[in-house]
Amino acid sequence: MSMSEASLSRRKFVEAFGAVCATGAAAVLATGCGSQRASSTSTTSSSSSSSSLADTITFAQGSDPRGLDPAYVDDGESAKIMSNIYETLLKYDKSSCDIVPGLAKSYEVSDDGLTYTLHLNEGVKFHDGTDFNADAVKKSIERQLEGSRNDDMPYASFVFGTASEGNGVSTVEAKDATTVVITLVAASTPFLKNLAMAMAAPIVSPTALEKYDGNLNENPCGTGPYTFVSWTKSQNVVLKANDSYWDSENAAKTQNIIFKFISENASRVTALNNGEADIIDGIDDSVVDTITGAGNSLYDEDGMNINYMAFNTQSDTFKTPEARIAFAKAVNVDELVTSLYGDYATAATSIMPLWMAPYDSDIEQTAFDKDAAKSELAALGITSVKCITYSNPRPYNTKGGQVLAESIQGYLKDVGVDVTIDTYDWTTYKTKVTTEAYDICFYGWVGDNGDPDNFMNLLADSSLAMNVARFDDADYKALIAKGVATPEGDARNDVYHDCEKMAAEKQPWLLISHAKNLAGYNPKVKDFVIHPTGVVWLWGATKEQ
Amino acid sequence: MAKYIIKRILQSILVLFGVSVIVFLIMRVFSADPAPVVLGEHATEESMKAWRDSNGLSDPILVQYLNFLGGALTGNLGTSYYTHTAVTQEIMSRFPATIELALVAIILASLVGIVLGVVSAVHKGTAIDGVSTVFALLGVSMPIYWSGILLIILFAGIWHVLPSGGRVDPLLQPVGGSGLYIIDTLFSGDFEALGNVMQHIILPALALSLYSMAIITRMTRSSMLDTLNEDYVRTARAKGLKEGKVTRHHALRNAMLPVTTVIGLQLGSLLGGAMLTETVFAWPGIGKYTVDCILKSDFPVVQGVVLLIGVIFVIINLVVDIIYAYLDPRIKYSKEEG
Repeated sequence: MSMSEASLSRRKFVEAFGAVCATGAAAVLATGCGSQRASSTSTTSSSSSSSSLADTITFAQGSDPRGLDPAYVDDGESAKIMSNIYETLLKYDKSSCDIVPGLAKSYEVSDDGLTYTLHLNEGVKFHDGTDFNADAVKKSIERQLEGSRNDDMPYASFVFGTASEGNGVSTVEAKDATTVVITLVAASTPFLKNLAMAMAAPIVSPTALEKYDGNLNENPCGTGPYTFVSWTKSQNVVLKANDSYWDSENAAKTQNIIFKFISENASRVTALNNGEADIIDGIDDSVVDTITGAGNSLYDEDGMNINYMAFNTQSDTFKTPEARIAFAKAVNVDELVTSLYGDYATAATSIMPLWMAPYDSDIEQTAFDKDAAKSELAALGITSVKCITYSNPRPYNTKGGQVLAESIQGYLKDVGVDVTIDTYDWTTYKTKVTTEAYDICFYGWVGDNGDPDNFMNLLADSSLAMNVARFDDADYKALIAKGVATPEGDARNDVYHDCEKMAAEKQPWLLISHAKNLAGYNPKVKDFVIHPTGVVWLWGATKEQ
Repeated sequence: MAKYIIKRILQSILVLFGVSVIVFLIMRVFSADPAPVVLGEHATEESMKAWRDSNGLSDPILVQYLNFLGGALTGNLGTSYYTHTAVTQEIMSRFPATIELALVAIILASLVGIVLGVVSAVHKGTAIDGVSTVFALLGVSMPIYWSGILLIILFAGIWHVLPSGGRVDPLLQPVGGSGLYIIDTLFSGDFEALGNVMQHIILPALALSLYSMAIITRMTRSSMLDTLNEDYVRTARAKGLKEGKVTRHHALRNAMLPVTTVIGLQLGSLLGGAMLTETVFAWPGIGKYTVDCILKSDFPVVQGVVLLIGVIFVIINLVVDIIYAYLDPRIKYSKEEG
């Protein structure tokens, strides 16, 4: 290449590069600033041109969904999106975990609690045009039953049970086009609430299942008020209103819903305050002032969770209730909760959230008594305790496990007990709680289905990853089994009252707090629902322009 | 020259083999068991064991490595434990975002860095040189998560003139194409989308470029100072050439050799995924994704991404070395003689 050619090509390159930059800069100037542009785009298309409502609402959450097939996911981020695409046979009431009709307009349960007959709504279609009927329900459930289910279906065994182990669904029968009969192996009252869950329970299109080889993670197709448009990995999922939706009372009021993924809490808050998002969740109390200071609003409702410290009831140190109670007396839980979480958590007096049906306010937990703790622990010879905890913030403990452990460490130091703390990231920690020889550990739980069994069974579970207190009490397990088989009502509530009393007396846990669900939102957005189960219902939501 | 290139390619293969062994061992030996994360809260010991068996995690470590290596050599990096999607597909859906950000950042860093370095060298010891030195010091000292958040607070939080994160307004997202949104929108003539893309890339590219900009500035300055003292520069001046021409044509062109190497290495580093920048700006690239997968012990993805980054580094180093050998015959000869 000659010198002149080289110079020419270099000049051409510089000119071309300059042209790209100039075009880009011109385009930036022409389109104005980001936040304004976003809102103008969202108001240009279709439905709301003549109304005062915007046609797009943007919800910013912490990460991508794991997938969008209810059989293959277990995470809240997936559930929020799926709840707007799919529907369940039964639904939760908007503000509680009471069951109301969904795709099934009514149901009957046989006297022995084994047979559930569900009568389906007519005229319902999946987003791909397939008719919703009893066959679709059968296929949707049967793919998750033993024999068909695979290891990657994390909620299949929880929702539909394991028949070979004596629980769960035995058969699903399509009696006629609008009648489904589900037979259980053993009576299970939580099953009704399981049918309303965002995981596993939603009914999917049988045509789509066939088309996409049984996995709808990237091609969701339900009957819900919103249809799936696109999923750009690590960026967003876009939904649009289902124009053929069957239930006019619950039809989508806003044309487009965008779920945006912003992992950093601070960045999500900035996105809200900058007008790039209309609703954000996954925040903690440290950003409340920033949100409200910018003229946005705070959503603040009781959550369905419990934050606790577990004693290893199999350890030499805490194998007796006396030792556990003596330890518990050293901790001023009310003071601890107020200092760590402010107004955004309530001190726990029950394993169940305070709003859940069988909650009994008469049950008393061990009261703070520093002097008694000091003398009792000394008498028991407890001078050092090994603790393991997690580092990450969790939905029930936004400060993270280490901060909580250090607070407890401080209380115990005052009564002459040395607590050594080993901290692990959450992924590692989940294995450590099953393998380490600890005296105490920190854990928590976010409820799945709103049934008391879902909380109280944590102390009866055979899995060490669930029952981190390693509490093994035959009487308690008998109560849990009774509660599962007893129909809803006073008799069942009494069973769980007894469970609560036993847990308070035997003290396998030191109850800490119930965290509130926090979200920030643009005050122009109305009527969205953040359900206690953590899912978000956006079909009733509107946004003023 | 051919012998040199072949030798460097063979060395590169050895490096990649080493990378594959190290990343495999780190993930398998030091990472948490992925089974509880993948199977969720309700997993039982039996279901976790079955899952480990079906994913080959119960096999001897050597067998696991050979399976991984065999797959990698045929372009099959496995499937994400978490999403059940092919690792190559997961990577390719995010890699264009990383490439675009890295290219814009390196162009920004090179343009500003070279100009500042040259000006600083030509005006050595003056106030301009001092300002350039302070700028370079700040560039290498400021943690990116700090400078990034500062930019977001200023431009998005206070002045509301730029978006705080993301790549483009979802309703303007280009469909299909190369995945490089600037190119895609430019070629499709969608200038509204192009403007939106540019708005989104300004802050992350600026934050990401600061470190490279500072390094390039200092390297250009020191290289320029060396060449400005060379005999041929003095000769050019003695011939009566204007100072500007001497600087641009005689000094700068020769000073650019080491700067080219630095730019190449910086580009390699940026293409490897700017984890902090991508996280702070919610930029949907490979860096942020890798961090997420490390936390979830998603072995196949992490192994695939690290191997890909290794390949990128090796290729860029190889290309830079070859360019260097082409531009400076002494290197080629010395290697061949060696």
